[in-house]
This record gives sequence, C-alpha cells and structure tokens, in this order.
Amino acid sequence: MATTALPQRGYLHDDTPDLGRWIRSWLFTVDHKRIAILYLLSINFFFLLGGLAATFVRIELITPQGDLMSSDVYNRMFTLHGVIMIFFFLIPAIPAVLGNFLMPLMLGARDLAFPRLNLLSWYLYMFGGIFALSAAVLGGVDTGWTFYTPFSSTYSNSNVILTITGAFIMGFSSIATAVNFIATTHKMRAPGLTWFRLPLFVWAMYATSLVIVLATPVVGIALLLVAIERLWGVGIFDPALGGDPLLFQHLFWFYSHPAVYIMILPAFGVISELISTFSRKRIFGYEFIAFSSMAIAILGFLVWGHHMFVSSQSVYSSLVFSFITMLIAIPSAIKVFNWTATLYKGSISYRTPMLYALGFIGLFVIGGLTGIFLGVVAIDIHVTDTYFVVAHFHYVMVGGTIMAYLGGIHFWWPKMTGRMYNEIWGGISALIIFVGFNMTFFPQFVLGYMGMPRRYHVYPEEFQILHVLSSAGATVLAVGFIIPIIYLMLSLKTGRIAGDNPWDATGLEWKTTSPPPTHNFEAIPVVTTEAYAYPPEAAARDAAEWRPGSPL
Amino acid sequence: MATTTPTAKPAPAHEHGHEAHGRELAHHFESAQQQKETATLGMWVFLVTEIMLFGGIFMAYIVYRWAFPDVWAEAAHHLNTPLGAVNTVVLLVSSLTVALAVNAAEEGNRRRLLTMLGITLLLGATFLVIKGFEYSEKFAHCAGAADPVAWVTGGARLEERECLVPGRNFVFPEAHGAEGSKGAGAAHGAEAGHAQPQAGLGSPYQLFYFLYFVATGLHAVHMVIGLTIVSVLTFIAWRGVITPTYYTPIEVGGLYWHLIDIIWVFLFPLFYLVH
Amino acid sequence: MAKTSTTAAHGARDAHDAHTEHAGHAHISRGTYYKVFAALMVLMALTVGAWWIEGMIALPRLLGVTIAMAIAIAKTTLIILYFMHVKVSERATQLYAGAAFVGFAIMVIITMADYFARGWPPPPGPLP
Repeated sequence: MATTALPQRGYLHDDTPDLGRWIRSWLFTVDHKRIAILYLLSINFFFLLGGLAATFVRIELITPQGDLMSSDVYNRMFTLHGVIMIFFFLIPAIPAVLGNFLMPLMLGARDLAFPRLNLLSWYLYMFGGIFALSAAVLGGVDTGWTFYTPFSSTYSNSNVILTITGAFIMGFSSIATAVNFIATTHKMRAPGLTWFRLPLFVWAMYATSLVIVLATPVVGIALLLVAIERLWGVGIFDPALGGDPLLFQHLFWFYSHPAVYIMILPAFGVISELISTFSRKRIFGYEFIAFSSMAIAILGFLVWGHHMFVSSQSVYSSLVFSFITMLIAIPSAIKVFNWTATLYKGSISYRTPMLYALGFIGLFVIGGLTGIFLGVVAIDIHVTDTYFVVAHFHYVMVGGTIMAYLGGIHFWWPKMTGRMYNEIWGGISALIIFVGFNMTFFPQFVLGYMGMPRRYHVYPEEFQILHVLSSAGATVLAVGFIIPIIYLMLSLKTGRIAGDNPWDATGLEWKTTSPPPTHNFEAIPVVTTEAYAYPPEAAARDAAEWRPGSPL
Repeated sequence: MATTTPTAKPAPAHEHGHEAHGRELAHHFESAQQQKETATLGMWVFLVTEIMLFGGIFMAYIVYRWAFPDVWAEAAHHLNTPLGAVNTVVLLVSSLTVALAVNAAEEGNRRRLLTMLGITLLLGATFLVIKGFEYSEKFAHCAGAADPVAWVTGGARLEERECLVPGRNFVFPEAHGAEGSKGAGAAHGAEAGHAQPQAGLGSPYQLFYFLYFVATGLHAVHMVIGLTIVSVLTFIAWRGVITPTYYTPIEVGGLYWHLIDIIWVFLFPLFYLVH
Repeated sequence: MAKTSTTAAHGARDAHDAHTEHAGHAHISRGTYYKVFAALMVLMALTVGAWWIEGMIALPRLLGVTIAMAIAIAKTTLIILYFMHVKVSERATQLYAGAAFVGFAIMVIITMADYFARGWPPPPGPLP
C-alpha cells in the first residue's frame, strides 16, 4: 500500500520536544522495539571494536616477524577480538536485535512476556560491556577467549577477573532474553497461531533460547571458579593440589560448544524467512526445519569434547564425541537441502537480503563441512590449533551468522524504520563482503593445513604470501562492513517510504504499519493459515508478471 | 477482559477504565490467568539456569570425590554436622511456610500470608546466622582460637594447629587412626594417608574446603537474595497488593525460595555426611 | 498471504472470563502440604540415621552415597511436585523442570565417562 509519510504513531515517534524526556523515553523504555534499537546501536559499537582488534591482528600478520607488536600485546589483541566478538557481538546479535524486535510481532503479541526484564537485559549487556572495555583499556587480557587454566587462574598477569566479570554479566543478559522468548512463545501466541503455524524464525529463536538457558550458567560457574582461584590464590584447577585443569575445559566447552549453536540457530531462522520470501514460495519441509532446529539444540550438548581431542581427554571419549559430531551434520544438512528445494522452481529475486542468504548457504556449507573434517579425530590432531580451525569457525560465524544478520537487518529494515535502504549500494556491499570474506579466510584453510599455528604472530617465510592475501581480503571485508552503516543511516532521512509490506511477504509482522505502533497491532490478529502461505502458483505467476519496479 | 480489547481504536488508550480488571494486569496480557501462568513458566525457566549453575559446582565435586575418596571422607569429618543438620531442618520448615504463604494468598487470608512470610524470613535469617557461626568457627581456628567467642574475647586457644580455610595458611590436622591411602590418592598424601603433601604440592584437602566454601558461599548469596525477595513480598502483601486473583508475586518468589532449599538438600549430605 | 481478521479480544480462544475466580487450575490443599512436610522430616531422619549407621558398620562407599542421594532426590521430588506446584502446573512448566535435571545429567555422565576412561588422577611419580 503506497504511503507518502511515516505513520504518525510509530514506536519511533515521540511527542516530547524536551531532550531530557526524549532521552528518558529511550533509556527507560519497555517497548521491545526500542530495546531492539538500543541493542542494534550497542552491538554495532562492539562489532566495530572487535573489528579494530582484528585489523591490528591482520596488519601484524602481513610480515613474518613480530614487528608491529610484541607477543604479549599480540596475545591481548586476539583475545580482545575473540572476547568482544563472541560474547558481545555474535551471541546477542540476532536474538537481541532481530529477535527482540520481531518475536512479539511474529507471534501477534503486544510485547514480550516480561518487558522490564527485557530492558534489564540491555542494561546488563551494557554493564558487562563496560567491564570488558575497562579490561581492554587497562591493558587487556592475554589468555585467549578460552581462558584455559592454569594459565588464566594462576600464571597470567593480565586483567582476567575484569574480563571474566564482563562475560559473566553478559551471560545474565543472554539468559534474560532467553527467558523472555520462551515464555512469550509458549503463552502469548495470537489466537489460531499453533506451534506448526509459527514462522521458522520463531522456532529458531526458541531453540536458541533453550540452549542459552541450559548452557550459559555452566560457563558462568566455570569462569567464576577461575576468578575465585585468582583472587584467593587457591583453586580446584590447580594441579599442585590435585586439581585437574581439564575440568575447566569440560565446564567451559559444555557452554562454548552449544554457544556456537546459539550463534548459528538464529541465523538459520533468518535464512528460512529470506529464502521463502525471495523465492515467493512456501518453505519446503517446514516440519523438518522446525524439528532440525530442536535436534541441533539438543545434540549440541553432546559434542563439546571435540574441542578437546588433544587435551589429554581419553581416546574413548574423543571417539564418542567425534561420532556424535558427525550426527549433528545431519540436521544442518536437512536445512540446507530444504532451502535448496525451496529455491527450486521459485521466483528468485536478487535483492540484498537474498544475496546475503544465498551467500550464507554457500559459505555455511563450506564452514560446516570443514567442521566435519575437524570432527574426525585423526585429522583434528593434525590441524587443531592451526589456521584451519580459525578458517572453519570464521566461515560459519562470519560467512554464516554475520551474513544472516546483515540479510535480516536489510530485510526488516523497512519494518523497523519505515524506510527502504538504497538497493544498489546494498547489492554492492553484499558482493564486496562476499569477495572480501573469501579472500580473507580461504587462504587460512591452506595456511592451517600447511601447519601455521593459530595465535602466533611470528611465522616462517613461506607462509607470508597467504597471510598477505588474507590481510588484503580483510581490508576489502572491512570496507564491505562499513558501507552498510553509511547507507543505512542515510536511508533514515532519504530512503523511500516503505509501506506496510514492501516485500509482499507473509508473516504477522508485515500486517502492521512500518514502523509499527508502540503496541504493535491495532487489534490482535487471528491466524487461520499456515506460515509462508503463498498460493502454489505464486512463484510462477510472479515470475511471469515481473516488471521493473515490481516489489521483488 | 473479553470486552476490553478495542477493535478499531488504538490499543494503548485507556477507555475501558480500571474497573474492568485489576490494576496489576499488564496490558500486553489478556487475562490474569495468562499473566500468572506466564510468570510461573518464566520463573521456572530461570530456575533451570540456577540448577545448571550449581550443577557446575556439583560436577567439580563429583570429579574430585571420585578421585580422592579418602581425602573427602577425612575432610568432611571436620565440618560441623549437627549445625548442618539443624540448618537443613530450618530450610525444610521454611519451604513449608512458603507453601503455606502461597496457599494463604490464594485464599485471601492476609494475616496468615503475612505470618507465614514473616516466619520464613526468621527461618532464613536463622539459617544465615548458623552458617555465619560455622564459617566463623573455621576462621577462629585459623587464628588459633578454640571457637569464635574465644577468638573475640581472647580466650581458649586451639591445642592442635588447624586452618581449614584454603590458602597459604591451610593446615589440615593430623589424622587420628589414619586410614591407609588408596593408590589414587597417594600422589598427594604421601605415606600413611594423611595430610602431608609431596614436596612442591599443596594439601589436597584444600580441594574439599574450596568447594565447601564456594558452594555454601554461593548458596548463602542466594539465601540473601531470597530473603530480599521475601521481604519485598512481605511489604507488598502488607500493602494489600495481594488478592486471590493476583498472588503471582508470592507464587513466583516462593518458587525461588524452594530452589534454594533444594540446593541445600543436596549440599548437606554431599559435604557433611561423607564416610 | 496469511489471512487474518481483526477481532474483538479472544475470538478463537475459549470464552473464559478472567474474572471468574479459581481460573481453572487444580489446587493443592493445605493438608497435602502438611503430609509432604511430614514425609520430608521422615526422610531427613533417614538421612541422618543412615549416616550414623554407616559410621558404625563398614558399608561400601558407593552404597553409602547412593543411599544419601536417593533420599535427597526423594526430598527434592516432593518439594518440586507439591511445594512448587509442578504436579498441577501446565505441561511446559513440567517440561522445563525436568529439562534442568536432564541437562545436569548429560553434563555429569559424559564428563565422568572421560574421567573413568582417562586414568586420572595420574599415579604418583618416583620422587618423594
């Protein structure tokens, strides 16, 4: 429906002329949409910070000698990169930004179940972030984001406790979000919205929340025990007392492996939405994708030992972990097959969100398959702690999660802001990101396989060409990440007014105005059809009727 | 509630007035029933995280008790089991009073509600006092005094050196009638199954006491939080906010209290009753 | 596209009016609470009693801890089902109550499997 102006009572709109009241209306909001925007801004800040650390790392790695920074500074730099990116960007990104904004809308509710808890989760995020920033400013921490004992608990001379406190507090933020999502999904669905009519994004958020709730406290206690050991001078990870450093690793990875599913499951949810909308087709195998999200969430708790194959973990355990790791590939593959089947005979539109979605599928397959290689004990012994692992997880986390995040931001940008972004620049930056990403990380597979260890800044001459290639790619990637910030901000002033449903998509969020009013819907909708209820011939018909200027 | 959701009018407007539902019903819910069930579910999801948090400590406990059973048995001997048992009973009674408080709220009996909440507060405070005494016993022994009172008054000294607070001054007293150490524990308790560690190593009994202090300490922190919650509940109950249609805070706060009790039900036998 | 229609309030939902008291769910009586408490006290006596007896006779350690844990689990089950109302709660709540213990069990079982298979703690070295 064509409109010429933003709706008057959108959630962004404020009648308060007073700056103080305006600030308070944002800082004390309980509107999930405003909280999502608060998260969007703060998460982007941390992303840029983590990116800055990565920039220094990649600059140092251009030369084989340690000329830019000492080993100690280098340790602190990659640790900062890891801690910020994982705890303050990847874990919260899609759930806290897109999830917070969309869950009530997709469920036909007026807000999440516990709006004030939602605001508290943002404040906890910021509070944790302050600790992490303080640690960084005070010289950082050199243990790696994995905080292995006994280095972190006994020998490190860096700001371990400060950083741990930041991560611990962030854990509570994560838990608060998950509690909200679970309660809202169970109790606040609109009339007629049964579980199997939910958008797959909601299923993905639900599975993610389940993982958050079960896993996060364990890393909390693991890190707390390290902090206590540092403070008290005594601890249970100290071999001198009979303690086992590996116990820390068990507790740490019990969270940190499911954590990677916390990072990727929401991305899967976004991709399902994008693939369906931009093929103009119902998702193929809806139940399979829904169940596979739950299967990944549950199986994800059984495989943490694949991070510990060379740690002195027993061989028998390692083999069992390895086997179950293979099994996890199955639900992930099921999703990829179903997305591909959705694309088949769809009316494919190459708008920016779809570019990210298609890029995701390719890059996630590479990242996921290399994960399977790493899951084989014999291969892992050779490539563990090399750049092969670094390349693997960047393929899934950047090529996977970040691509999905950007695709989702672009897709729901009109809903969140009422404006369309510039499609040309959107396409250009998606391409730049894709090229830059592969240029950065593909050489790292080769590097790792050839034996380049991770977390080293000094390396043999023969690796230099690949490192230079990787750093050049990182430059391209950085440009690709900066450009969207610019055109998205510009779109707030100059973007085309989007209207309620610029993509002609299904889903309850498109039934209300863009941006939505504070209470989401004028009246709670009643749902009578399945999700993605495109008529069967929609794809064929839309393809036949496509003209320049069609919605898709 | 069925008539109060407007159709064509913007939702937040308050045209229906407050007589149609209690003030405590948040506008994003459609009924008090839904709000209560949602709050209960939300609290249970949070309790899952608390169980997993203590689960990590129990995990560490299980590993080390399995690895060093003799160390565990000897170490547990020096905890104040009678006080621990009293504390367990105190908490079990407090769980009853909390359940009765919720029941009173459901039935609209404000006096009984306040009484039960008050008793719960008393019992919780008793628990913390007893725990505080237990801890101060340990600290007093480290300072060389026979008990906390003597520590403060400068009275009776402890005959045998003992310091069970982990750290630089940790000293585990000589075992009387020491059991022979099994092979697995011998790495850290050299000759006759008692405390003296190998050169360069610390006393393994510290593993037990570290876990004891961390587990009971974390539990005590949760008790303080629980007492704060119950105090707030007492206050709002006194103010008349709780009615038979709206007793969600009591129910949800009560759930938290019960969890604290459950954790102690496991801590007690695991730390105090080891042979 | 999904068809939706505006509606007054609940529409497809049941016509349940939130103002009728005792909105539907079952109820645990005060008598039950007292009975559960009595059971908890009996179990507490068993806990201490078993410990006392084990101090006098030589019971294998594994049996001792199994008994203690069984009693603790019984106490916990009673508290969860009755005091925490899980017995009369909706299915989702019951599921989450169970999920916590399943998660804990997974962590313990798999981690202990590693310890069992590893030969840890390592045997002492030759030095005194």
